[in-house]
Amino acid sequence: MTRAVASWAGAIALVGVAVSASAHHSTAMFEWGKEVALKNATVERWEWTNPHTFLYVSVPKAGGGTERWAFEGMSPSHLSRAGWDKRSLKPGDKIDLTYFALRDGRKGGFNISVTFPDGRVIRQLPVGVSSGDAAR
Amino acid sequence: MNSMWRTVIVAVALSAVSSVAVAQSRDPAGSPEGDRRARYAKLAELPDWSGVWSPDWLVNSQNRQLKPEYTKEGAALVEAYEQGQERGENLQGQQANCVPPGLPNVMTQPYPIEFVFTPGAVYIITETYSQVRRVYTDGRPLPDDPDPYFNGHSIGHWDGQALIVETNGINPRNVLVSGVHATEQTRIREKIWQEAPDQLIIETTISDPTLFTKPFVTRAALTREHDWEMREYVCAENNKDAADPFGRPSMSLEEGDQE
Repeated sequence: MTRAVASWAGAIALVGVAVSASAHHSTAMFEWGKEVALKNATVERWEWTNPHTFLYVSVPKAGGGTERWAFEGMSPSHLSRAGWDKRSLKPGDKIDLTYFALRDGRKGGFNISVTFPDGRVIRQLPVGVSSGDAAR
Repeated sequence: MNSMWRTVIVAVALSAVSSVAVAQSRDPAGSPEGDRRARYAKLAELPDWSGVWSPDWLVNSQNRQLKPEYTKEGAALVEAYEQGQERGENLQGQQANCVPPGLPNVMTQPYPIEFVFTPGAVYIITETYSQVRRVYTDGRPLPDDPDPYFNGHSIGHWDGQALIVETNGINPRNVLVSGVHATEQTRIREKIWQEAPDQLIIETTISDPTLFTKPFVTRAALTREHDWEMREYVCAENNKDAADPFGRPSMSLEEGDQE
């Protein structure tokens, strides 16, 4: 990396300028940057597809029964180079997860991290990348 | 197949190979085949841009913070765009509907690109949306009145070890900078060079006298990733996102139909 590029990158990191998270859409639909937790989830479906992966889980409802949540994730193009694959999640897996919520109140959002019962964590985005692409 | 036939087929195949070898050695310079071989041999003088090049997300994000100097007309477009955002419009682009970005943004998508040098053309293959740019290096001029193309119409030449690409005919659907689309007057000049063995720099100069008072220059960086392969990217595979004609975003939570 040249010095010019390195210092540029450093300056961006310091001021926390938005980092592109998606080739495909803006982050306007989500409470981007506000990571919240969903615990005791069971994986129902893992869609390893472009332009985005999708994770469907069920979680116990207060008062009995379960409810379904849906989370968009990064693409296989990104995740395959960050250690994920089509078998990273499978139906029946017990997980805790974090996400940026949908602004419209539906049960879903953008998945950020997944924690397995043995404590292993996989992340959709690097730690510290929490701001989104501008509309483009 | 009996063994006699197998022997005959092998013998025929071997003789075909040897006659090709003889023919190759006999092609003199100046013959069509000799010229073809010479044109391919010349490619070895070009820099080594083989492999998979990943964009530097931080540098490319920083580019998006840079602002051109607008004409009155250009500034009015930006103002209208920003006013739309205050009404909840212009928040989502057509990429959410799987329409590719085209030039210039095709070169700074988050996923990698590769370069293919051939006699007469450089092909730039981008993983995002599985796009191909054709940059003709055979000396032809830019077309006079081209149809609008997402990736424009490009010609290129080598200035030492740097590839210079000139493009016109850019689709007016393409976004140049937020809120500002290409026009028939838009021209893009790219200078691409190897700053270090595993780093390419793309300097992009966008000129459009109707939009900008002076050419708008940005730089992007790419890193060669030695252990990556290009991946397929078919946007329509499972797209749940959308933008309406006003740029208002939506997302379906329905399951995809693939297993």
